[in-house]
Amino acid sequence: MDIYLPIAEVSVNAGVLVLLGAVVGFISGLFGIGGGFLMTPILLWMGIPPVVAVASEANHVAASSASSVISYSRRRQVDFRMGGVLAAGGALGALVGVEVFRWLRLMGQADLVVSLSYLIFLGLIGGLMLVESVGSVLRQRRGLAPAKPRDRRPVWLYGLPFKVRFPRSRLYISVIPPVVLGIFVGILSAIMGVGGGFILVPAMVYLLRMPAGVVVGTSLFQIIITTSLASILQAGRNQSVDIVLATLLLLGGVLGAQFGARASSRFRAEELRAVLGLIVLIMGLQMGLVLFINPEDPFILVGAGK
Amino acid sequence: MITPALPPPAIVAPEPGPTVSAALTEANVRVTSAFSGAQIVLYGAVFDPETRPSDVVVIVRGPDQPIRIARKVRVAGLWVNSRPVVFEGAPGFYMAASSRPLTEIASFSTLRRLGAGIDHLPMNAPEEERIETRYGVRDVVVSRLGGDYLEWRRAVIRLKEKADLYATDQDGVRFVDKGLFRAEIDLPTSAPIGEYQTEIILFQEGEPVSRRSRTITVEKAGLERWLYLFAHERPWLYGIVSVIIALTSGWLASVVFRRR
Repeated sequence: MDIYLPIAEVSVNAGVLVLLGAVVGFISGLFGIGGGFLMTPILLWMGIPPVVAVASEANHVAASSASSVISYSRRRQVDFRMGGVLAAGGALGALVGVEVFRWLRLMGQADLVVSLSYLIFLGLIGGLMLVESVGSVLRQRRGLAPAKPRDRRPVWLYGLPFKVRFPRSRLYISVIPPVVLGIFVGILSAIMGVGGGFILVPAMVYLLRMPAGVVVGTSLFQIIITTSLASILQAGRNQSVDIVLATLLLLGGVLGAQFGARASSRFRAEELRAVLGLIVLIMGLQMGLVLFINPEDPFILVGAGK
Repeated sequence: MITPALPPPAIVAPEPGPTVSAALTEANVRVTSAFSGAQIVLYGAVFDPETRPSDVVVIVRGPDQPIRIARKVRVAGLWVNSRPVVFEGAPGFYMAASSRPLTEIASFSTLRRLGAGIDHLPMNAPEEERIETRYGVRDVVVSRLGGDYLEWRRAVIRLKEKADLYATDQDGVRFVDKGLFRAEIDLPTSAPIGEYQTEIILFQEGEPVSRRSRTITVEKAGLERWLYLFAHERPWLYGIVSVIIALTSGWLASVVFRRR
């Protein structure tokens, strides 16, 4: 059934959107990520205007993250204090990001920055995840002991002022690194239409040295706050949230996320990470490809209409 | 002196010149959630006591929409967009249908005067223009695009044609019977909202002899309209509502699944 979207002003198949939401939701529940980095490029390929895709996707990410964060919180796997600090940075970042995106669109450079960000961040993180997890899977297969995690926490993390206790993460560190991390992820979420989980999770593990158990839940918690805010900002400032599009996506999304979360217990963490790394890497390369292939037409209409 | 009686003043009947008349099958296009473009048929008739050879041109012009267009340039091996150029005065939808190729119907200057045909659309890029004195002539409009201007303009038309928003159909007006013609107007899903001016021009011997205009209104209707107005008139409330929907459905799903 084709449906005309009131804000995007294009006609798309409603069934395809629900199904797409369910598949991305499943992946999001399986890996404990928002899934925006998958959904936004797909929406762009379907012909949804970039501004609307980015803004409506923030809404969908908020829904599927909310669907899975509750079960994490029941298992006491959410560090609300750390999530709150990250979200405070994220809010600031989203404010900046929405304005940056507006300005980039005016300059006609939004496409370039979106493609480049996907290529750099997804390519880098996907590649690293893949190498690291394939390495550990191979080591296990050969029957070797898992590589010892480097437990030495970086000195700079402790030298900074404004130290706060984070009991659930068993950390006593300065709030500056999480706030800066939050700002960075907030900007990216407004520009790329992602929750930022694929950056937050590794950053929390490797930079903040949080215990693995609370990382995913905390990241989801911060993503809900940041994307909800980004969604309201995009609607208020750019009128670019398509409520029909977002609702169709989240119908499938929240259900898919529940099934994904159940399925995740059947797989080993390293294998899951390897698959996720591969997906992230492919999306990054796919979005970046447009920068390298010769364009069909040397001219392009940018933000026509609005 | 007897003045000869003047003949009673004759009622000067309008010269029974040729006229054209037309009607649309649909003057109001409602964009609802089931909207997937629209096809409007225009029927018309040529009334001409003498049967001189006639040509009919139908021009449909949608609401004006500034167009931003960029050129892809290669920088350090990467394809990036140049600074966009804004064209103004271009309609968001344009169709020129005629019974013969326009160039055979009337002269260049007549077509230009009537704005008939894509080549005669008065669009320009005011931001790229500056007024200066050249060769002693004051107030000469110079475009920064220079000789490339035509290439940019052609690109705008090419891209719009690709999106089915601009069309030239040199046999889009077909005479179905003596003096009776029809033309089809295809509005794609991406057709802009607003008023479309439809002009029907009758040409004889290269001159426009009769004109009629009709208006097509494309507007959002029903739920589409309500949501669109909500998003634009109460944007902050709309944003908050959309977030509440998202969070509630996420929470509901997790509650439902926990019970199982």
